Amino acid sequence: MADDADGARLLDFLQRKWVRVALAGIAIIVLVAAPLFLPIHTNQSLARIGVFAVSVLGLNVIMGYTGQVSLGQIFFLGLGAYVTAYVVNAEWNIAAVFLLAVMITGAAGLIVALATARLGGLAIAMVTIALPIVGVPLAKRMSDFTGGSQGTSARFSAAPEWSKLDNDQWQYYVVLVIGAITFFLVYNFVRGKYGRALQIVKENEAVAGSLGISPYRYKVLAFTIAAVVGGVSGFLYMVVVQYTSPETLSFHHSIDLLASMVIGGAGSIIGSLIGGIYYVLVPNFTNEVAPTLTSLIQGALLLAILFMLPGGIASLPQLLHRRLSPGRAGGFVSQSASTGDPPSPASTKQSVSD
Amino acid sequence: MSIYRGPIGASSIIALSATVALVLAGCGGRAGSGDGNGDEASPGITDDSLALGVITPLSGATAAQGNCTVAGLVAYFGDANDSGGIEFGDGTTREVNVEAFDDTYDPQKALSAFQQNYDSVFGFTSGLGTPTNRAYREAAIDEEVPQVLVQTGDPIFSDRDDSPWQLGFIPIYQNEGEAFGSLLAEAEEDLTVGILSQNDDYGEGYVEGFKKGIEGSDVEIVGEHTYEATDTSVDAQLTELAATEADVFFNAMSVAPLVISSIETVRELGWDPSWFLPSNTSSPDAILEPSQADPEDGFYTVSFAKAPQSPQYEDDDDVVEFLDNLETYSSAYTTSPDYPHCMWSYMVGATLEQAFSDMTEPTRENFMEALSDISDFQAPLMLEGTSVDTTKDGQPAVSEVVVQRYNGTGYDNAESFD
Repeated sequence: MADDADGARLLDFLQRKWVRVALAGIAIIVLVAAPLFLPIHTNQSLARIGVFAVSVLGLNVIMGYTGQVSLGQIFFLGLGAYVTAYVVNAEWNIAAVFLLAVMITGAAGLIVALATARLGGLAIAMVTIALPIVGVPLAKRMSDFTGGSQGTSARFSAAPEWSKLDNDQWQYYVVLVIGAITFFLVYNFVRGKYGRALQIVKENEAVAGSLGISPYRYKVLAFTIAAVVGGVSGFLYMVVVQYTSPETLSFHHSIDLLASMVIGGAGSIIGSLIGGIYYVLVPNFTNEVAPTLTSLIQGALLLAILFMLPGGIASLPQLLHRRLSPGRAGGFVSQSASTGDPPSPASTKQSVSD
Repeated sequence: MSIYRGPIGASSIIALSATVALVLAGCGGRAGSGDGNGDEASPGITDDSLALGVITPLSGATAAQGNCTVAGLVAYFGDANDSGGIEFGDGTTREVNVEAFDDTYDPQKALSAFQQNYDSVFGFTSGLGTPTNRAYREAAIDEEVPQVLVQTGDPIFSDRDDSPWQLGFIPIYQNEGEAFGSLLAEAEEDLTVGILSQNDDYGEGYVEGFKKGIEGSDVEIVGEHTYEATDTSVDAQLTELAATEADVFFNAMSVAPLVISSIETVRELGWDPSWFLPSNTSSPDAILEPSQADPEDGFYTVSFAKAPQSPQYEDDDDVVEFLDNLETYSSAYTTSPDYPHCMWSYMVGATLEQAFSDMTEPTRENFMEALSDISDFQAPLMLEGTSVDTTKDGQPAVSEVVVQRYNGTGYDNAESFD
């Protein structure tokens, strides 16, 4: 059992505050410095990971944290991308472009939410399916705004002269800054009182109602925030890809996002990031292995991960923790661990029941 | 479901991102800003070999056509490599290797495949799809990477000013519609036409070309309807068109299952027009046979490729060699040429060989020059009366098509409309 004891000591070490602060500091330095040394295509991949991590994060707000099945997240990414493209081509200030992209998708999300949040369970899933299904022909038909099925490009994310950066580095930093702020805001949102309220709505709407928490209002709130975050990812999509077409918001990408969220870890902030990594890197990887078998390999990978880690990759440390902690083997983290507060070591012990 | 947010808390988000950055850094350092002056060889070409990339859908809804865009190319160069390689204009003999990348028809993935691979391949070619090719068009211009002989009917790829590093291969939609329109006009009869077209640039292109073709003739359009590419049924439009009893049904449709059901529905409605079908949805094996189309009705399409299915070309040397090469080299993609993209990508291979044989320097610039100077080249599998001509501004490499009529198993050239 010496290995287990070592593992536990390592975990205890990692839990010390100064260690964590130092690790975070190092990580931030790496994130900021990395693009200056990395090859161009790596920076582009990292930036793309940021885009889809934000998109998965939005999906997590409504699905992972609020428990409402949404199959329309890609619509908000697409809408954000189209608004960005259109307004950029109308030569507006870039800050105004960003605000407009976020506000329009937010408004669209709010309108849809007001109508659908009254529905429960599968009905809301059905309505959200309609978004990309309506969105694609709409984007094709409204060709004055969208460029029709040939799509539209907007090239506004070249590095400005004063930055002395290359385009790929500049795009990476834009995604890093906007993505980090979005992650930070959502992290605070789901950890605070709103997060706890959403948790109760997710677990039991009747209980939520009896506690004075309106499930309807909170579902609308979560849906709108998911749409806003989707709009942010749409803006970032244009920063990185610089082109959008009706294909961008096609329905099956919504399923890809959903799969990424589940693989990363539903209801987990870090799971969203892992989801973004999965969404971007796995197709690259399968293309390297066998370009004709990409779907097959991805399907097998998805099954394998979910079979071994039903809670997604984000639940891996939990699994290791259980295995490595002496006396805790076989324990289950109870519901209390999921209310949003990081458990202190003491409360972790209490919540573990053998 | 219990959610873990334990000992390694928020900082792990940052740590994970950093780890990914570090892991990816394993791929190598940042390359210097070497623009590569004229004498230096471009990426993807050595003294022994040249690497071509194909970004195309190999899975998903358009996978069947996508696999064909690689299969023909692999067959052509597989055979050429085994016969000793290709002799370039600079006197060096090189092997040409094809690397395929699956974009699943997703523009974002197409751009990603471009960014990941443009410094390891010489250029990109043969890829299928308008949005996917558009997604990396501007990046290819910025990086000065050839994106040539791509399989899209979008005219932007053949505009030499807008797209200096691009060239389309297949005829643009207008070319096809116009060829059929002209055939009707030449019949000098009072013909009525019903039109159903996809409500996008694809359908509009066909209709625009068709109307240009019938201009000033006795051909009259008596009904015109559109549908959305995402529609699962066009029965309503077909019923209205059937009521016009038009002589000819111009069906500019790109969705294969819809074409099959249209043929069946029109038969059930008791309307028996002559049909026009676009080149990419007129396959005898994949469309006309499953829908039990009656050759007596007259199914017309346009083509510039010999149809291997047609008895007429059964013993044709080009066709025999093509099928043989496909069988030998392309089993990873497809060995049965159900879609014309298989033949087209074979011709792309032959056209590229023409350009290679005129290349005097191993650079992308020199290749583009060589490629834009091919005329009157009859690639294998090309029909009599069509040829590759890359010298015409605003036109793709192949802009001529021949109208053909279904004979029950394949297509024969149609000299006139009857």
